[in-house]
Amino acid sequence: MARKPVKKRQTMTPFYATLAAVGVIGVVWVAWQMFSGPRGNPATQAVEVAIDPAELSRVQGISVGRDDAPVVIYEFADYTCPHCGDFATFVEPLIRERLVDTGMARFVFYDFPLPQFPNSFLAARAARCAREEGKFWEYHDILFGRQPTWSSMPDPADFFVELAGDVALDERTFESCLRSDRFQDEVSRNMQLGQMLGVASTPSLFVNMKRLPNVPQFSELEQMVREEAGGAPAADSTPGAAQADSAVPATAAPTP
Amino acid sequence: MTAVADSEPSYTEAPAPPLSRMLLVILALTGIFIAAYLTLHRFGFIGTLQCSLVGGCETVQSSAYAFFPPRTMVPWGMSVALIGLIGYVVLFAIGLLGLQPRFVGSRAVAVTLISLSGVALAFSLWLTYVEAAVLHAWCQWCVVSAILIGIIFLLSIPGVRASR
Repeated sequence: MARKPVKKRQTMTPFYATLAAVGVIGVVWVAWQMFSGPRGNPATQAVEVAIDPAELSRVQGISVGRDDAPVVIYEFADYTCPHCGDFATFVEPLIRERLVDTGMARFVFYDFPLPQFPNSFLAARAARCAREEGKFWEYHDILFGRQPTWSSMPDPADFFVELAGDVALDERTFESCLRSDRFQDEVSRNMQLGQMLGVASTPSLFVNMKRLPNVPQFSELEQMVREEAGGAPAADSTPGAAQADSAVPATAAPTP
Repeated sequence: MTAVADSEPSYTEAPAPPLSRMLLVILALTGIFIAAYLTLHRFGFIGTLQCSLVGGCETVQSSAYAFFPPRTMVPWGMSVALIGLIGYVVLFAIGLLGLQPRFVGSRAVAVTLISLSGVALAFSLWLTYVEAAVLHAWCQWCVVSAILIGIIFLLSIPGVRASR
């Protein structure tokens, strides 16, 4: 009779031994992932992403404006490129104010970080980290606005965190996103979409299904949008129109 | 000696803990580590997810559906990885409690385990649907977690039957 409790403990011993083994393996594995991995090394390079043509419509651009706007303007841009900076500073505000806010057009921003600018990819990811907190456009604007300050920095990560504070983002949340691989695939997909559409320089613009051969002044862009909205004949001769017809995303991400 | 044994009848006569519940606890502990891994990644303590099998972890973890409610609906959703971690810890704790002689036959413990794991399974199935139908990307750790929680749910059934 007195041996029964001892027998019961022996029965449970293999269970607790297994539990302890799983616990030790789990702790060691998680610790290994924490301390051997690239913690604190933010993803700064594009990765190869497999993208099926049928999936192009799901590539995430950042959209602002009404979903049912008659005209959609797509921009592929690089945060380090000076021309993109000029466009973002002098033309984009007018697009948002006079075309988007009036319901005439929707504006969709795609990342196209050029490989010759080492900080571009991180900047693109940083803006998407800001989007997680609902401040993509604020961060997009400040990135372009402060472009001369950070574009030639050897490691702009800390400066990007400062900028996050400037637009009232939670710096800790932002930094944890920035110093990871988050949005590496998404930005890479944006690049691949641009390449499939024939984008070779930035900024590259599409109005509805037509790729614009040059970067337009706002007045030219406004004229194009009005023609498109008014049902004017499409400029079939526009270079890239055939490519764009089949591949420009029909649906883009909702307004953050 | 006999007197001592007679004074502990409940200990010696308690039903042996079922193997299913032991497995449940071990799997819940495994789930804790997977959820902790994803949570640490979410909060920036792990830089890159190991994702060699399917390659879509980052897409899934970066999406609006990495939060619940999804960020497509509200801006304040809680990290799904953290929800999973809390869930596994609770399942582990209750499962471990249910292995103690006093609670082996407890219907309350059995019902709590099957209810919690049922809710967790439903949540995991919804997340799996989102991966397949909305994101078109798979996170191997999420799939492993969904399988784990499915097995945990199945393992919680015998406990309810035995406690009737």
